[in-house]
Amino acid sequence: MSETTQFRVMDFDCPTCATTVERALSKVNGVESVEVHYSTGRVEIQYDTQIADPITFEQTIANQGYTPQSA
Amino acid sequence: MKGSGINAQLVTRYYRKHRKAIIVSVTGLLYAGGWSLGYLTTLDTTSTTLLILAALVGGYDIAKTAYHEVKSRTLGIKTLVTLAAVGAIGIGSYWEAAAVVFLFALGSYLEGRTMRKTRNALEELLEMTPDTATVRRDGEQKEVPAREVEEGEIVIVKPGEKIPVDGDVVDGESAVNQAPVTGESAPVYKAQADGVYAGTVNQEGALEVRTTGAGSDTTLQRIIRRVEEAQEAQSPTESFIDRFAKYYTPGIIALSITAYAFTQNAILSLTLLVIGCPGALVIGPPVSIVSAIGNAARNGVLMKGGEHLERAGKIDLVAFDKTGTLTKGETIVADVAGFDTKASDVLELAAIAEKKSEHHLGEAILNAAQSEGATITDGGTATIQTDDAVATDARPLPDPDDFDVVPGKGVVAQYDGCEIVVGNRALLDEREIGLPEDVAVYVRERETRGETAVHVVRDGVVIGAIALRDELRETAPSVIAQLQDTGIETVMLTGDNERTARAVAEEVGIDDYRAELFPEDKQTVIEEFCEAGHVVAMAGDGINDAPSLATADVGVAMGAAGTDTAIETADMALMADDLERIPYAVVLSKATRWNVYENVGLAVLTVTILLAGVLTSSVTLALGMLVHEASVLAVILNGMRLLRH
Repeated sequence: MSETTQFRVMDFDCPTCATTVERALSKVNGVESVEVHYSTGRVEIQYDTQIADPITFEQTIANQGYTPQSA
Repeated sequence: MKGSGINAQLVTRYYRKHRKAIIVSVTGLLYAGGWSLGYLTTLDTTSTTLLILAALVGGYDIAKTAYHEVKSRTLGIKTLVTLAAVGAIGIGSYWEAAAVVFLFALGSYLEGRTMRKTRNALEELLEMTPDTATVRRDGEQKEVPAREVEEGEIVIVKPGEKIPVDGDVVDGESAVNQAPVTGESAPVYKAQADGVYAGTVNQEGALEVRTTGAGSDTTLQRIIRRVEEAQEAQSPTESFIDRFAKYYTPGIIALSITAYAFTQNAILSLTLLVIGCPGALVIGPPVSIVSAIGNAARNGVLMKGGEHLERAGKIDLVAFDKTGTLTKGETIVADVAGFDTKASDVLELAAIAEKKSEHHLGEAILNAAQSEGATITDGGTATIQTDDAVATDARPLPDPDDFDVVPGKGVVAQYDGCEIVVGNRALLDEREIGLPEDVAVYVRERETRGETAVHVVRDGVVIGAIALRDELRETAPSVIAQLQDTGIETVMLTGDNERTARAVAEEVGIDDYRAELFPEDKQTVIEEFCEAGHVVAMAGDGINDAPSLATADVGVAMGAAGTDTAIETADMALMADDLERIPYAVVLSKATRWNVYENVGLAVLTVTILLAGVLTSSVTLALGMLVHEASVLAVILNGMRLLRH
């Protein structure tokens, strides 16, 4: 089953930071599509609920040095 | 021990929340300590240790992100800063390494903080909707989560409470503050059958509301979604800079490698890398646009996106639809004249003929005939009926036996064995009906007052005329003047005849007008303006004017709060039915366009000066870093000015 979840990252300090997070998230197993927006800090992930879960996404974002908040 | 456990927890939580600030402060202290020891004393080893520590503490997070940047094959400033710091330590310039790391960490901390403010502009809106709603279920009042209210359920809103759902009032009356949705500061009176929006505040009396939308299906939520989409959409300047950066960044790397090959000076080439980063350039335009769109949303103006905002900044001509935009859109009968016939009979016959018509002039005639309070004169001064009179004194009128609409001209009806024609001069000409001079004089006289006159004909003889008026909005003349002050040409589009149009145009002070237009003609007129090289905005109601709104460079839909299509499609949607938002939006767009230019200019200027400074060896690594970070902060702060425009 495919589902969509959202996070907010308020501490992106440059557009490249958003790109880096987007690439990292897209490499997580089970992720179908990712959108990360520098301007609003909105992260939208479409994923397969059988393989991936939102906690992994939060960890991935945190690993890059940013603070995810649930939207 | 229990106490210390709680303390440790508190400390951890505090640390997590303020991690970046703590790291920046510690790095700063270590750096200051190391630098002053090295400068003031001979404790060189201690000084070096402190400086390296500063670089490590401040640099850990930067290096971690740099690692991910490299891994995901993006080339970001953090990779360059890490390279610069490592390189500086490698050649023994500990002071430079610590300075670069500290300045960068401080800079990004401040940038993150200020950007958060920009991103939070929408949060006020998000917090508007209450979490719970009081619904009537099975005869009992029950508190439930607002998003679980179903369509058709009755929600009770006490005075002082926020309305939790979109709906129609079924009981009670009150003043409602609609500022969160429409940006209007004055409360709006609401009674039975009036629509209310989630997130607005019920100020006076209790209301019972039948739900039409809850949860994510409310006007406020739609607005928020639209605003976010708008903020995320790239403007043409942003896309251009993105494309430019693709070549620029590798160019800077090539330059620094070349510089190293020629000078063997590692610090010089590292400095080039750091100051060459297009930081202010890529951050500037999105900050300006996000701030402007956020500001507009709080004032009840939805902008479709950066692209439209940049285009709106170039508007040099605003076309207004007359009816409902410059005027109130409430047509009333101003006067009835009978010629050898009683005026009341003229009105009654016209009303019967128009009974099945859905034209707004027909409706006004019908309303006037049905209201007994109507005072009818023979070509004298205008008398105006109020809506109340219509509502209370409606009297039945017979149906016409037969009825035909002649589009753009009037109606032809059969009643009681007679043929009744109600229409304009064109309809009379078409049917070869002669116009007596006294009627023509009357009609001309009413038209020069900005009124629209229709002729009433019974069996080929003109028996009278009815003058109709649609009052100007009080704000219209000052809105036109404000636009003219900013150097914008204004044009009125109307279906009225030449004389009426000229009178209204003069009254409102508009530059130009186009009269006798059919709805499809308006679109053609807009096309002509565009082809003539104007950047054209068209203001209209979003439904009838949809084609011309779409044709214009910037379509401005008025009173969009109630119409979802207008919110979704208009380039600019004014949530309130308030003409004064038009100059506001135009001025904001112009300010945004300048702001973007300022930011791009500042960024290019900074990089150029720094590059020249580095190549002539007058700018060091630390100074370069300081100026670079300062320029990034400067463009963010400049962009944020638009939040308070």
